[in-house]
Amino acid sequence: MTEKSRNSNQACRKWFSHACSHIVILGIILSIGIYSCQQPKTQQHFTEKAKSSARHFVKTTIKYAKGFDIKYVGDYKIVQILNHSAQKTDTTQFVLIQRGNPAPAGFKKSQIIEIPVKKLIGMSSLQIAMADFAESPDIITGLNSLMYVNSPAVRKNIKAGKVKEVGEEGSINTEVIISVHPDLIMAMGNPSASLSRYQTIENAGIPVLLISEWLESTPLGRAEWVKLMAALLNKEELVDRKFAVIEKEYNRLAELGRKAGDKPLVIIGMPYKGSWFVPDGTSFMARFFKDAGADYSWADIKGTGSMPLSFESIAPIALKADYWVNTGTVNTKAEIAAADERYTYFKPFKNNTIYNFNKRINDLGSNDYWESGVVNPHLVLSDFIKIMHPELLPSYELVYYKKIL
Amino acid sequence: MKDKIQLYDEYVNGAIGPVKKFIIGFLILFILVFFMLDIALGSVAIPFKEIVKIFFSSGSDNEAWIYIVEKIRIPKAITAVLVGCGLSVSGLQMQTLFRNPLAGPSVLGITAGASLGVALIMLSAGSITSLYTIQALGISGSWLIILASSAGAALIMMIIVAISSALRDNIIMLIVGVMIANITLSIISIWQYFSAPEQIKEYLLWTFGSLGGVTEHHLQVLAIVIVIGLFISFASSKLLDALLLGENYARSMGLTVNRARILIICSTSILAGSITAFCGPIGFIGIAVPHLARSLFNTSNHRILIPGCCLIGTALMLVCDIVSQMPGSQTALPINIITALIGSPVVIWVIVSRNNLRGF
Repeated sequence: MTEKSRNSNQACRKWFSHACSHIVILGIILSIGIYSCQQPKTQQHFTEKAKSSARHFVKTTIKYAKGFDIKYVGDYKIVQILNHSAQKTDTTQFVLIQRGNPAPAGFKKSQIIEIPVKKLIGMSSLQIAMADFAESPDIITGLNSLMYVNSPAVRKNIKAGKVKEVGEEGSINTEVIISVHPDLIMAMGNPSASLSRYQTIENAGIPVLLISEWLESTPLGRAEWVKLMAALLNKEELVDRKFAVIEKEYNRLAELGRKAGDKPLVIIGMPYKGSWFVPDGTSFMARFFKDAGADYSWADIKGTGSMPLSFESIAPIALKADYWVNTGTVNTKAEIAAADERYTYFKPFKNNTIYNFNKRINDLGSNDYWESGVVNPHLVLSDFIKIMHPELLPSYELVYYKKIL
Repeated sequence: MKDKIQLYDEYVNGAIGPVKKFIIGFLILFILVFFMLDIALGSVAIPFKEIVKIFFSSGSDNEAWIYIVEKIRIPKAITAVLVGCGLSVSGLQMQTLFRNPLAGPSVLGITAGASLGVALIMLSAGSITSLYTIQALGISGSWLIILASSAGAALIMMIIVAISSALRDNIIMLIVGVMIANITLSIISIWQYFSAPEQIKEYLLWTFGSLGGVTEHHLQVLAIVIVIGLFISFASSKLLDALLLGENYARSMGLTVNRARILIICSTSILAGSITAFCGPIGFIGIAVPHLARSLFNTSNHRILIPGCCLIGTALMLVCDIVSQMPGSQTALPINIITALIGSPVVIWVIVSRNNLRGF
């Protein structure tokens, strides 16, 4: 039972006892009559209101993303966050109801979200990008950290004091969150992980939605999570239109990249003390490489994101690789040599073909690659094609990537 | 009767009987074989003939193989030897000094001190590492971590030495050491609590321990430091024997107990501190190997136990390193997981089956 229906019930009972005390004889029959017919009346009123708002939204369909689904049932929407493990698929269900509507029956175990969401707390920079994409940056009223922000609109709101800092996951400031009382908290997380760290917040009646966009196996699937934001904002039409443009552009570029004659060998990431975490073949990064016309040595390994490899199993490939991308926090060749002088033997180091995604780091040290990069897969792909097949995009300028010297 | 005299001779005076000669010979052979195996086995399959060719003449048709053997496997195997010797000897010294079978290199807070230095660099990345003074020194990357770690270990060591010269009781010293370690670790926890996830991940990877991060240049420094530390240990084996009989007895033998104690603490700090700096905190070896040595050599004489610890520690580290590589697979497990996983059952088996844990 939601807050709203509980309140209306209480109001009914009050009225009931009030009537009893004044009109003793008629009271019982009359009040029961009114009590019982008041309910359908209100519901009818709500249904009419919902019908009018239901007309506003276009139904979106999910084409690439595997981690969530949206269903439209009457005047409400059902969002399912899917967790694909080896044998089964776990589902966490959220019911999106139009603001002011009662919750539909039969969803006792689901969290209820009132839409359009007006106050959102985001626990990662991805939520900023999603809100920006849906052209509603003002809904961001709380963030895990105010340092990692690129969106000019959100930064303006931070300056004006409209955005609260709620702390990193694991050390979140529950009191600040409850005082902001957002319509929703969106956090990054594995859908199979327990929600326990947000239990207090859920008990306070604030729904928590875990986003696992990083588990998607295609860049478009990852970007498609903006459609979830669209459903939360009743902005399906706008987001669908914008996403279609990106989709078309990405597919055009991917065709271009995949047709490229030579496939340069690429390595990714930065090893640490003998272990090297690399994305596996089912990760969206491997798909980027495929679409950019690159040869990625671990494209056939199935997994759930990344895997730790030993230094020596990568060394033979690194020694003859053509390109080395995503060196992370390392920004110069001198730093690579200082981390481990053995890396200086790699061919990309000798040929100056190391690229990192650090071109769009702002004055606060926040990297836009993690923010807008997620919803702009066509730009990331363009960067990769420009790096590995410069002749295919002669006039293009790198957006997120920069050569390391 | 003669047997009993011989046993006593072996147990107290450290005479080397035929059984011990056999054990020592076997251990040396074992180490040679496993040193070669450690170089021969790994994620990438390289024919043994090629390994031998690269090892002795450093030539092969496959450049990647030369790189793997020369730059990755040989430094790692040598590191395993140094770590095996250093940690077990420093553990032995701590057990003798505190006359406590659960003491180890980490008991004085030296390892925690090294961790403090590393945490300072890693968890404050972006503020400390970009400090102008550090950049001006031209130190960055791995050397910066090693320096910070050594400085942290040295800081805690100085505190310990200062306290130990004021305290006469070893048990109180032990408690103080454990408490200092706790203080240091909670300071690190506070940092971790307020750090970004990727920084915590980097620090966590460091705490797993690794032999693979030691390059040729590091190895030269590490080897020199370990040899100095071991030399001090060998030189103080008589002091250790005397301490084992109790401090009063040692004093009556004309030993300046305090000076001996500081010497032992210094050599332990050098050994444990430098290894932690280069490889991260590697657990278990320091506690377990001394027990194995006492049990196998059936003696409490440090002139036997110190080289014995070196041999057993080296053998165990080599085995652990081979297993952690999981030959044939592309992944490698952190060494810390393996040392405890393989080592603990070995210790239980040896101690229970021989039932002769003595020396305390």
